[in-house]
Amino acid sequence: MPVGSVLFAFVIGALICVVTGANPIAAYAGLVCGGLGIGCTQGENPALQISNTIVFFIPLVTTGVAVALPFRAGLFNIGAEGQLLAGSVACCAIGIKFADLPAPILLPMVLVGGMAAGAIWAGIAGVLKATVGAHEVVTTIMLNYVAQWLVRFLIVGGPLELAPGTSKSHPIGAGAQLPTLLPADNSVIIFGLPASVFRVHSGLFIAVVAAAVFAFLLWRTAFGYEIRAVGQSQKAARYAGVSVRRTIVLTMLIAGAFSGLAGAVQIAGVDHNLTDKFFNDTTGFDAIAVALLGLGSAVGIVLAALLFGALHTGGAIMQSDAGISSNLVLVLQALILFSIAANFVGAIRRGLPFGRRASPELPTELPPAAGLMTEAAVPPPGKT
Amino acid sequence: MSGVGDIVHLLFTANLWQATLAAAVLLLLPALGGVISERSGVVNIAMEGMMLTGAFFAVVADLAWHNPWLATLVAIVAGGLMATIHAVVSIQFRADQIVSGIAINIFAAGLTVFLVNRIYGLQDVGHVGPNELLPYVDIPALDQIPFFGQVVFDQNIVVYIALILLVATHIVLFRTRLGLRIRAVGEHPQAADTAGLNVYVIRYSAVITSGLLSGLSGAFLAIGISNTFVPNMTDGRGYIALAAMIFGKWTPFGAFIACLIFGLGQAVYDNNSIIHVSPYLLSMLPYLLTLIVLAGLVGRATPPAADGLPYVPGSE
Amino acid sequence: MTDAERLAVDMRGIVKQFPGVLANNHVDFSVRTGEIHALVGENGAGKSTLMNVLYGLIHPDAGEILIHGKPTHLTGPRDAIALGIGMVHQHFMLIPVFSVGENIMLGREPVDGMRLYNRARARKLINDLTKKYGLALDPDTRMADLPVGLQQRAEIVKVLYRGAEILILDEPTGVLTPQETKELFVVLRDLVKGGKTIIFISHKLKEVLEISDRITVMRRGKVVGHLTTRETSEEEIATMMVGREVLLRVDKKPARPGAVVMRVENVTASSDRGVPALKGVSFELRQGEILGIAGVEGNGQSELMEVLAGTRKTTGGHVLLGDRDITTYDARTERDAGVAFIPEDRRGTGLVLSFSIAENSILGRERSSRFSWNQLLLKLVAIREWARRLVKEFDVRTPSIDVAARNLSGGNQQKVIVAREMGSKPKVLLAAQPTRGVDIGAIEFIHRRIVQERDEGTAVLLVSAELDEVRSLSDRIAVMYEGRIVSIESPDTPEERLGLLMTGGGKAREGAA
Repeated sequence: MPVGSVLFAFVIGALICVVTGANPIAAYAGLVCGGLGIGCTQGENPALQISNTIVFFIPLVTTGVAVALPFRAGLFNIGAEGQLLAGSVACCAIGIKFADLPAPILLPMVLVGGMAAGAIWAGIAGVLKATVGAHEVVTTIMLNYVAQWLVRFLIVGGPLELAPGTSKSHPIGAGAQLPTLLPADNSVIIFGLPASVFRVHSGLFIAVVAAAVFAFLLWRTAFGYEIRAVGQSQKAARYAGVSVRRTIVLTMLIAGAFSGLAGAVQIAGVDHNLTDKFFNDTTGFDAIAVALLGLGSAVGIVLAALLFGALHTGGAIMQSDAGISSNLVLVLQALILFSIAANFVGAIRRGLPFGRRASPELPTELPPAAGLMTEAAVPPPGKT
Repeated sequence: MSGVGDIVHLLFTANLWQATLAAAVLLLLPALGGVISERSGVVNIAMEGMMLTGAFFAVVADLAWHNPWLATLVAIVAGGLMATIHAVVSIQFRADQIVSGIAINIFAAGLTVFLVNRIYGLQDVGHVGPNELLPYVDIPALDQIPFFGQVVFDQNIVVYIALILLVATHIVLFRTRLGLRIRAVGEHPQAADTAGLNVYVIRYSAVITSGLLSGLSGAFLAIGISNTFVPNMTDGRGYIALAAMIFGKWTPFGAFIACLIFGLGQAVYDNNSIIHVSPYLLSMLPYLLTLIVLAGLVGRATPPAADGLPYVPGSE
Repeated sequence: MTDAERLAVDMRGIVKQFPGVLANNHVDFSVRTGEIHALVGENGAGKSTLMNVLYGLIHPDAGEILIHGKPTHLTGPRDAIALGIGMVHQHFMLIPVFSVGENIMLGREPVDGMRLYNRARARKLINDLTKKYGLALDPDTRMADLPVGLQQRAEIVKVLYRGAEILILDEPTGVLTPQETKELFVVLRDLVKGGKTIIFISHKLKEVLEISDRITVMRRGKVVGHLTTRETSEEEIATMMVGREVLLRVDKKPARPGAVVMRVENVTASSDRGVPALKGVSFELRQGEILGIAGVEGNGQSELMEVLAGTRKTTGGHVLLGDRDITTYDARTERDAGVAFIPEDRRGTGLVLSFSIAENSILGRERSSRFSWNQLLLKLVAIREWARRLVKEFDVRTPSIDVAARNLSGGNQQKVIVAREMGSKPKVLLAAQPTRGVDIGAIEFIHRRIVQERDEGTAVLLVSAELDEVRSLSDRIAVMYEGRIVSIESPDTPEERLGLLMTGGGKAREGAA
């Protein structure tokens, strides 16, 4: 089903190209070149493209997990972006303030700080949901905007700004930087380019470990069992003695920590400071598609993150080579989401247009959609 | 703190409240759409995308045909088309309505910029000439009333339309047969079905209406308040409209009150140079307000009973 | 009137297939004009499906329907309504937040020129109707504020308002008190006198014998018998429903109750709506006995079970397990203390439908040291062994323990829950509606196991809306009415007396107030 959804999206995307006078072949060739380093016609270095893809892949995995975990509990975490930004800000702030500390101390500090900031950011939404029943879609989206404006406030004429008018922050201390996988030394030539051009960094391991931790948590622990129970049936979970409120809050905290970690890793591994690049960051939103396309499983998320990472880098090349706006990638992403949500592929197989919800996997992944103020988190009076 | 003093002073100016009403209307139209859609049982968080689509097509049409009315019509239709996608995916294919809504928003954001690129190449979208915008209309005589005259009767024409729509929505929902049926479908679609109502037609109509209203709002934003299209210019207003709907307990007038509150926040922000507070901090205001409003609704707000649940006939 | 026209309803060769089950297998079903015709069968026999086909809610795969001799093609309820067919569903098709009038009028609302809903005219129309049929109702009351019996009455008026001549009632008495049932039967007889035809779906054989003229019995999607009510008996109908001799009584040895293991003292609690549901319940439960709670649904039984299981807070009173005060224990601590609970809602509460049998087998016990290390890591091997053992011992029909619970039949689902709760060797077993909606084979099995638990020393508290079940299983019967135990009786007590106590009459013989 996920493969079908991706194919569906590319087909419709090609249609859109044709209708608007763009060349779909050129577009997709650009995507493939940029994303996978294959078939590049305009002299792009394949290794560099792959490296860039991995750089995008890394935060997508961790934020994908940050979206997928709450899904399992019946929550929509649309706030992964805001949580990621919170983590970036924390990492930056700590990395700047304590810039002189050595790596074995500073690096864990910034990473943990990032996790904590992300956790708080998500926790606000979690607490609101658990106590008042405020739907996390709206609250997390609001928090996203607050985070975006916070970043702007901090680095445009704000406390973290490097120098007036630069719109970027001080760099974090050397001890907070995650080592790159290839030596960052311009005198070394790898794959035909100076080594420091390849930004792929050890955050890759962190991302993979995060996915493994997610899978472990969900399937091998009692808490993971309870998360899944809450997501499938709050009544059954209450019967089992699980505190639905506590589970919601904890799940959001953990999810926020994952997102925050992604943000911190991004700063520590690649950017080393906050810049206006973060104003338009879409990682957290891509993560939603990653989580859904990956059907909420660790392996799926990794694969989906690879796809979207490739689409990201591919989009830039598509724009520069074929002159087609990289926003086509967003369109493709939306089409994938539609396709998964509606299980188009399944419906087509069964004969359109009346798609019955016969596919057993779909309801498991997506929390039961309910009105925007669910009473579910707020148990009826008298119940525990 | 001079900032606070400035704000208080500002609150007594008619200009501020005039701006508040305009900003509120921008939110009100999609909020009304949300109310109608959710009253029929379909969760609709796609207002953001539908508004954005409306804004884009309003500008493109106005630049092409130099006629703001035609452009507005195009915008409304565009919003309706977006809504149709959401409706088909949610109602026919029984997709998760929240995912579908988010997909619409991403789709709209990507498609609009993609089309800007296709149509205008690497240049910006042009500005619409001052004669081709949706006009501001002073209502003669009424606009001479001190304070209120300026606030209420010296507004863009869309504001008047919106206020009429507000009253109309309320009457239709709560006083007509159609409204009764819409609410029935949202509360208990099975009961409506067994009573002989066509659940699908009612839900489709409601969702498409929300698209039409959001499209109108987009037109107001793009060729009424401003004069061009900027990527993501809706800036979360569609989501704030949702919060207004919840705050208003899924009633038109309730949503309007919430929209006024949020509009106030927006108007204060627009005056940030006067009150000497960082514009970025002020930008957070509407979103923080939303959070506070939602936090204050301690489980008191109940949506229509069947909101968000796809209708499967014959199931118990 | 020709022979054909004398048949108000004539359904021939109806076939309806759902994924995995043939709900209607070439069913022939006919009803004479002016009679009360009962359609009986177990849960899952296909009765509701057949009636949904007649009402146009479901489209049959094959077969034809003749109404008053004329073949019809129903595309939806609108067509059925136009033909004079009205249906009162088992789960009411009423909108709680609307008024009685709005509910009745829905779809046929009187409007004035401007399409504004004309409340005054609606009121008048309804009052005319209710007077004509003697069904008093206030059109302006909110539906949610009405008691169940009156809600059903509104459903009937709704159907009559649309000009129904043929009324289908799907399990109408499940939610009624005995008094309300009597009133309903009076209404039905009046309607028939006025020329209406009534189809009455039920599995309550006593009522079927009381009210109907003829009976059609269904089993597993097929019609297996046509009976004339006057000439048949409960045993004959039951045998047809099930296909073999039915044990209407459970074989059991006399109980040997031991020490008091649970003491409930003056417990009060509120319902979900905030209204007091338990108003001072007191009783004792001993080892090795089955205490059955008899009562019409809605008198506090559900809340009582939830309080004892730890999923509902008390507002007063005490619950003691041995010496321990467990009043404030939550569900998990209750379980750890040895109180097991078979909830009345197996699909919503007792199971997570998308979980496998193995995962469901530890629901509520996932943190116990038996199934997890340090409350953290799950002991997957131990869990699977446990699940396998339960499936074997309780004869759960499934190809593997990894099958999702939603794919099991109702009876097997219930067995998973029963197995899980009994398997934990509890001190106290709370069983709420343990055989509701379950096929006869599974019912017999569950009954036997409950008795077996009791013989092994467990204290069993049984709540059931089926009086027969309570009487055949219990060693003592506590009658609950309006949140209190009004009397404790022996199982030999005649049914009339129990019925009287269940509705608030009669004097208590023993026990608490």
